[in-house]
Amino acid sequence: MAKTILVIEDDKFLRELITQKLLKEGYDTSEAVDGEEGIKKIKEEKPDLVLLDLILPGIDGFEVLSRMREEPNLSSIPVIILSNLGRKEDVEKGLKLGAVDYLIKAHFTPGEIIDKIKAVLK
Amino acid sequence: MAEDYLKELAETRKALLNILEDVEEARERAEEEEDKTKAIVSNLADGLIVLDWGNRIVLINSQGEKFLDVKTKEIEGKSLEELEKDPIEKLVKLILKKKKLYREELPLEKPREFVLEVTTVLLSPRKEKVIILHDISREKTIDRMKTEFVSFSAHQLKSPLTSIKWALKMFLDGDLGKITEEQREVLSKTYQTNESMIFLVDDLLSLARIEEGRYLYKLIPVKIDKIIQSAIDSCQKKIKKKKLKVEFRKAKGKIPEIKVDVEKIKLAVENFIDNAIKYTPEEGEVIASLSFNKKEIEFSVKDSGIGVPKAQQEKIFQKFFRASNAIKIKSQGTGLGLFITKNIVEAHGGRIWFESEEGKGTTFHFTLPFT
Repeated sequence: MAKTILVIEDDKFLRELITQKLLKEGYDTSEAVDGEEGIKKIKEEKPDLVLLDLILPGIDGFEVLSRMREEPNLSSIPVIILSNLGRKEDVEKGLKLGAVDYLIKAHFTPGEIIDKIKAVLK
Repeated sequence: MAEDYLKELAETRKALLNILEDVEEARERAEEEEDKTKAIVSNLADGLIVLDWGNRIVLINSQGEKFLDVKTKEIEGKSLEELEKDPIEKLVKLILKKKKLYREELPLEKPREFVLEVTTVLLSPRKEKVIILHDISREKTIDRMKTEFVSFSAHQLKSPLTSIKWALKMFLDGDLGKITEEQREVLSKTYQTNESMIFLVDDLLSLARIEEGRYLYKLIPVKIDKIIQSAIDSCQKKIKKKKLKVEFRKAKGKIPEIKVDVEKIKLAVENFIDNAIKYTPEEGEVIASLSFNKKEIEFSVKDSGIGVPKAQQEKIFQKFFRASNAIKIKSQGTGLGLFITKNIVEAHGGRIWFESEEGKGTTFHFTLPFT
């Protein structure tokens, strides 16, 4: 069965591009445009992996991570942060909150992001 | 006889009165002068403190009182060492540290958050010292706003640049259907142009961070040779492509760990190596060396590259500057790399310099102190 990737990203075009790439690679996808919807979909759909942007309207990515940590049945879902925040403080904070990887959007191509996802889901 | 005597006495009295009158006039004039000076001093927009030879406070003007939250009565005649109240204590510490200060910045939190620029002047004959306090909070605020603006706009640029990158890459990877060779060529070039724009934005962000002063993050002890080696390793692709001979020469003996902001020093090291590779023609040579003594480590990168034209050498560390021969070889570049490197090195208390001869090569050096 195809694995499901939830993409939490507020930029429509970026979301479409990465979703298209994921579908092409044979994954099932689900999308959320902000933190609130993201948390809802994580709870309802229990995706196999979450691609998480950090700067989001309302509840930001860090908050999404901390809420996932509070619930034992969600904390095992791997999260890859996909953000343009590149400061060391942000990276450390994200990883400390339990993300398995931290990718700076502008430094990775869709193909490279897929490679990272494959590595995590192996 | 008595008459003569009386007359003489009367004249003497007159003369004395005259002298007294003159003295009185002179005194009045002097008082007037003093009042004038006092008025000027007390109405200055800068704070002013005068110390005698024994560092005792002779005078403080009203602006000085305001800056330091003190009253003349409380501190007049006291020596600096006796003043232990914040914020004046901070000023005292600064003054006692150095004999002469010129535009030294002193950030204060009390009575409000602001920054003073402190200058001391020695009045030679009686060894009195004048301390001038100049409020530069406004300049600081404007400077910070400028940096925040750069940081904000650079950040806003990143998202659309990412979309462009991803979309172009998907075209190139054939994710969106087959493309012709001709299309591929143009798309590749567009992709590269977009990549250099991303680099520019990254550089602007690092620059903004340096200027925001929050650039030095956490100082942790590291093995600097590891950082250098991994910077060289990450360039292997380019090195092979250009058939360069790259060497890393380490000084004998165990290289002591040094406390640095790892991410920033990595950036500084990478900039040196990256530049050497970028501006050295095919089959050239790049030698990185690391040496140390009791006080500091020295890292240098020597290349057999294009060199820096003599007339432009003094500008090489300036923001946005690129040498004319460098622009010819690589049209894309931000002119920020060495500026950032210099800031990083100096923030660590190190020095940076270079020697270069056009057409022969360049050697860049930086040092980092152990403490």
